[in-house]
Amino acid sequence: MDAPIDPLVAAAIHDAKNALMALDTQLAAAAHHRPAAADFRTARASVSRIATQLTELLTLYRAQNGALRLAIDDHDLADFIDDLLAELGPSPAGIALAVDRSAALTLGAWAFDAYLVKLALLDALRNAQRHAATRVALALDAPPEGGIRFSIADDGPGFPETLLAGADAVTSQSGTGLGIAFARLIAARHATPNGRHGQVELANPTTGGARLTLTLP
Amino acid sequence: MDLHEKIGLLIDDMPEMRSSMRLQLASAGLEHCDQARSVKEAIDRLAAGRYDLIVCDYNLGQGTDGQQFLELVRRKQLLPLDTAFLMVTGETGYEQVATAAEYAPDDYLLKPFTSEQLGARLGRILNKKEALKPVYRHMGPGKDKDREKALSACDELLAQGGRYQLDVLRIKGELLLAATRLDAALALYASVLQQRSTPWAEVGRARVLAAVGDAAEAKDHLERALVAYPNYLAAYDALAHIVAKTDKVAAQALVERALKVSPSTQRNRELGTLALENRDFACAETAFRRTVEKDRSGFFKNHDDYAGLARSYTEQGKTKEALGTVKEMGVHFANTAELKARQAALECQVHAKAGNADAAKEALERALRIQQANQLDPQAALEVAQACFAGGRQDDAKQIIQAIAEDHDENAAVLSQAQAVFANAGLEDEGAMFLDATRQRMIRLNNDAVALAKSGQLEQAIAMLTEAADRLANNCQIAVNAALALLMHVHRNGPTAARLDQARRYIAQARRINPAHPKLAEVEAYYRKVAPVDAPPLEG
Repeated sequence: MDAPIDPLVAAAIHDAKNALMALDTQLAAAAHHRPAAADFRTARASVSRIATQLTELLTLYRAQNGALRLAIDDHDLADFIDDLLAELGPSPAGIALAVDRSAALTLGAWAFDAYLVKLALLDALRNAQRHAATRVALALDAPPEGGIRFSIADDGPGFPETLLAGADAVTSQSGTGLGIAFARLIAARHATPNGRHGQVELANPTTGGARLTLTLP
Repeated sequence: MDLHEKIGLLIDDMPEMRSSMRLQLASAGLEHCDQARSVKEAIDRLAAGRYDLIVCDYNLGQGTDGQQFLELVRRKQLLPLDTAFLMVTGETGYEQVATAAEYAPDDYLLKPFTSEQLGARLGRILNKKEALKPVYRHMGPGKDKDREKALSACDELLAQGGRYQLDVLRIKGELLLAATRLDAALALYASVLQQRSTPWAEVGRARVLAAVGDAAEAKDHLERALVAYPNYLAAYDALAHIVAKTDKVAAQALVERALKVSPSTQRNRELGTLALENRDFACAETAFRRTVEKDRSGFFKNHDDYAGLARSYTEQGKTKEALGTVKEMGVHFANTAELKARQAALECQVHAKAGNADAAKEALERALRIQQANQLDPQAALEVAQACFAGGRQDDAKQIIQAIAEDHDENAAVLSQAQAVFANAGLEDEGAMFLDATRQRMIRLNNDAVALAKSGQLEQAIAMLTEAADRLANNCQIAVNAALALLMHVHRNGPTAARLDQARRYIAQARRINPAHPKLAEVEAYYRKVAPVDAPPLEG
């Protein structure tokens, strides 16, 4: 995501996002009258996906203008994973979601920007669900070199080679790469006073599928 | 966590938002919920009743916000520590809330959200508050306030394990710092940081380092913390605090940086104050103008802000604007003696600077009349002293300052304001000597009285200390020593109702001035020891 975003485009994104929030309120009101209708849930899930992308774009814009500042504080990791899954919503038909939260309970809390990291992980999870054949796995662990590491793996066809080679923006059937550019930005902006930074790694494991890991220092 | 039994308060200025939030809270299980439309209503509600939880919108209209409200009620101790406080915010307010320094909400929730999310958040906070209750109980306000007991409660919770370990450590670090148990505090922060980097522990360690006198190391840690956590306001505050001791210009630059993160009234006030000291009057003008203009509710600005603005104008020769500011004060605040004295004293200074000797003299006489007829707060009285310097009445100025310095000889903030009055009058060195002499005199008074008491001349000690305690209604040390001397007399010669009454009165006086005074617990214990069983108990 090296191409700068025009301020006019940024303003338009902002407007679109507000309009989207209004649409969501209307959908919520409509769903209130017909609680059984599944189409409203689907519609709201779409709204949420678009809103995530717009927020990612705006965040990248602010980063380019030096206006992105992370709000780091302690967050309970088990609560964080609960919130993440609640926002993700139910899995698509035929795709199972396995969550390993054992490390979250051992680690307790960690200091990070919960809002931005949640957005990055939500996007990665949705992406994995879109490409998975049968299964998506979310796990958290503490790597020996320090920090915490979220992993999202699926059993789909794996990341395209261009993406693995380090390219950010790839226009392909698999999407724009916006989510990954955003995740990289957010990870890199997480730092410690002794100079360690977070990072995102993509891999296609030999056992198949794709795996994204987001490490926070 | 079941919300059915809980009592909540919802604060939001928008009627439609209130009703939709009310519905969401009800479907999350909260049936009892009062509502407040403004900061004023919310403060009235808090003063009148007790709430288990508060849900507050970030944007409260009239130039006010939920963060300012939270800081205000925490500082005024209107919000019990075990009351859950959830801030609701749009994306724009989120950074302000998430970077709050000293007075952070328990949690915040970004709009839009579902009633399930709202209920889950509230449940989590209430669970944590419940778990930490044994600590909060001793953190005051109230009769159970006792730092050592709060620390023991922390240790018990830490020994039990459980999921709130880090929260307990965070509180324990603050308590150890407040108790100046610096070795223990340093060990605590070091052990947390060995496992993880987290902003509060980085800042905590730096504050301990500064407290043990290692300012260079503390600064180094904070500067590196700010690179990693550029939004963490507590790091700016801690750094500015250290830097201000040696370099006010650098401190001013730091506060300006923090303002870019969070433009709060409090921080604008700090900037204005530093800029005045640095004689950067244009910057002071901008900062104080923001404090008086932003807040249209009148809850967050104070007399000092208008005084600072008037001084910034005066020093730049903007007489008309300065007089306008002094007049405007009267529109925004209650018509008290403090306000009238302050206005008259400021008018005198503006006119004196502009060369209007007659107008200055008239205003000064008005200010002095009010000062002599009333027991003014130290800030208003110091303003009158400043006017005396401006009007050429140095002796009156010194007399006023001496009375304040004797009365508040343990209050560093008041003493530094007194020193600033001398500095503004161009008498910095003389002021330092004058204030030091006053301090020495107070120490001698206490020491002489203690020596008299020890040598058995209790009657003389009592006479000396009670005279001083009656004159200096804000001096905690004197009140404590007066009570001690009276109780020694009771201990040695047996109780009389009159001496016990007097001792009780001075203990109450000391408690009112400073409930955290280090000698207060000792004198209270002494009273309980020497007073007969049928004597009246101590208040509070």
